[in-house]
Amino acid sequence: MMDVVDQLGALRAGALSRRKFTKGLLAAGVAMTAMPLTGRRAIAAEGDQATYFTWGGYDIPELFGPYIAKNGVPPNFATFGGSEEALTKMRGGFVVDVSHPCNQAMPRWVQSGLFQPIDTSRLSNWGDVIPELVDLPGNDAGDGKVWMSPFDWGQTSVTYRTDLFELEGEESWDMLWDARYAGRLGSLASGADAWWCGAIKAGVDFADIDSEGAFEKIAAVMREQRPLIRTYTDDTTTLEQALSAGEMVASMTWNSSAVLLQSEGIPVKFARPKEGALTWVCGPMIHKDAPNLDRAYEVIDSLLSVEAGHFMINDWGYGHSNAKAFDAFDAETLAGLGLSKNPLDVLNAGHFQHPQTQEWETRMNETFEQIKAGF
Amino acid sequence: MAETSLSKSRSGQAAARASGSRLTRLLNRSETLRGYLLMAPTLLIMGIGIVVPFLILLMISLWTRQGFGFDTTLTLVNYARAWSEPIYGTLLARSFWISGVATVATVALCYPMAYYVAFHVHRNKMMWLILMTLPFWTSYLLRVFAWKVILGYEGVINSGLSAAGLIEQPLAFLLYSPTAVIITLAHAWAAFAILPLYVSLEKIDKSLLEAATDLGDGPVARFFRITLPLSMPGIIAASFLIFIPTTGDYITPALLGGPDGTMIGNLIQIQFGAVNNWPMGATLSIVLMLWIAALALVFLLITRKMQERIA
Repeated sequence: MMDVVDQLGALRAGALSRRKFTKGLLAAGVAMTAMPLTGRRAIAAEGDQATYFTWGGYDIPELFGPYIAKNGVPPNFATFGGSEEALTKMRGGFVVDVSHPCNQAMPRWVQSGLFQPIDTSRLSNWGDVIPELVDLPGNDAGDGKVWMSPFDWGQTSVTYRTDLFELEGEESWDMLWDARYAGRLGSLASGADAWWCGAIKAGVDFADIDSEGAFEKIAAVMREQRPLIRTYTDDTTTLEQALSAGEMVASMTWNSSAVLLQSEGIPVKFARPKEGALTWVCGPMIHKDAPNLDRAYEVIDSLLSVEAGHFMINDWGYGHSNAKAFDAFDAETLAGLGLSKNPLDVLNAGHFQHPQTQEWETRMNETFEQIKAGF
Repeated sequence: MAETSLSKSRSGQAAARASGSRLTRLLNRSETLRGYLLMAPTLLIMGIGIVVPFLILLMISLWTRQGFGFDTTLTLVNYARAWSEPIYGTLLARSFWISGVATVATVALCYPMAYYVAFHVHRNKMMWLILMTLPFWTSYLLRVFAWKVILGYEGVINSGLSAAGLIEQPLAFLLYSPTAVIITLAHAWAAFAILPLYVSLEKIDKSLLEAATDLGDGPVARFFRITLPLSMPGIIAASFLIFIPTTGDYITPALLGGPDGTMIGNLIQIQFGAVNNWPMGATLSIVLMLWIAALALVFLLITRKMQERIA
């Protein structure tokens, strides 16, 4: 690096000969060509680690303490923005060890035949997992095995700037349809969140979400919202930065965005809409052709550990599936985060997502994409 | 080349002669065969890398989606949808508009730079060219992100303007708009314009310019009568090099376009992602290709006609 600076300095002083400069360029060229090679080698060395295909943001070492303690490095990560996108990618032949859907998508993931049941006896932390979170529709794989091991649970709601957003009455989903703030509202791009929030706004009962009438009603509110939205994105960082800059005054987010912004002193609040928030449980599933099955179980065990739970609750404000992870927090802190030791209190207070058929999911995504594009 | 191999086979052993000489004789007789043999590696790569994937794409576009699989009965229903549903036509038109403006802007901005290096730089031309293509040393994605930082709400432009007291509220239209996509494309593809423009300008015979001056042309008339027509091949090449790939660009509108800056590339990506309709995605890709081919042909014909008139 110093060489380069020296050479540039010499160039400015007019002292560098052309031959010398060309030589420098040659060196830079060789260095640049060689760089990807060393990079590739580094990846190859970690190639026998498990691959965890997860939501963008969960690809951090903090969640993999026990895994790193055992293997020295975190698992390999691949990320997605929406679980439907992830399923399509795996359908297309992308083989991973562990992936990370939510309860609403899980039965469809099972039906795809791409996953194997989880043998819970191989998980050291399974005994501490909150049973209500395991007992989800479609999760029983027989023989005491499950398809999805619950890991994180939480809410999709509105994060808003308390100093910029003038609240009229109670907190509500109407905030994201407030024409006063046209062009300063944000939304998650994935239909798996946005469409369901639209259903709450439209007053559609989730038990009835697959009816034709509900479909039309939700599409109508989504179309109404579209001109008000600055951008739809699955990248939570984009939403957080926009909220922190005041570019957006309110946005649909998960728990973590509000907690992260608050920890940086930004005056935001994670709304408790009077209609109720959207609630969900997500967790790892194992691919049927997982090349590193033992390490796949280590990935899941790490996610279920108390250590990972502390991080999830404290740093991101998500619920965790390990009951012991809550012991470090008093009831007041948990209530402040919108959490509880009894997940059902929170999940049932909001609108808990229901599994839907593949046809519905595809149709919903197709319609929502058209609406986002302005049709 | 053929003669040496011929003489080699003559001086070679009798056993090798039987089979070797027949091939050599064949090669010697047919110039076409020699040509194809020389091109064989390229043809092979073209075949495997372009023709076969294209045929697969064409095949899939004639299928229809059925759940997660395909109904392989051949049908044109996807093409009918691409024709009749307004979303596809609108996004296609928007893509051509955005990349058309970006192409014109890039060529117009790069022409003076290439002109300067071709006519006014006499030493270290190579270094000048390398410096001009410097943006290409970073990855495309990084360049797009850099523009996000520049155009952003608290970005370089907005904070600069507000520090200068010119604006009170940051300009929101800079980011998440077709404008943002055009600005970014025009910058990110600059090197593709500079190089062909430079080559065609550099090739111009300087004595023609002197002759024009001798015959009484001023600098402006000289430029429009000599330099511009003679650099037309460079302008055409640069326009193609930028227009074709940017029309289908995906990542720039995805990061900077916002809801109103979505382009056809984003729609195609979605078909292979969340919407999970590969046949429709394949159809849209082919429709895009056909449109680009048609537009390119028209552009080519117009420029040829114009050149004929000038000549």
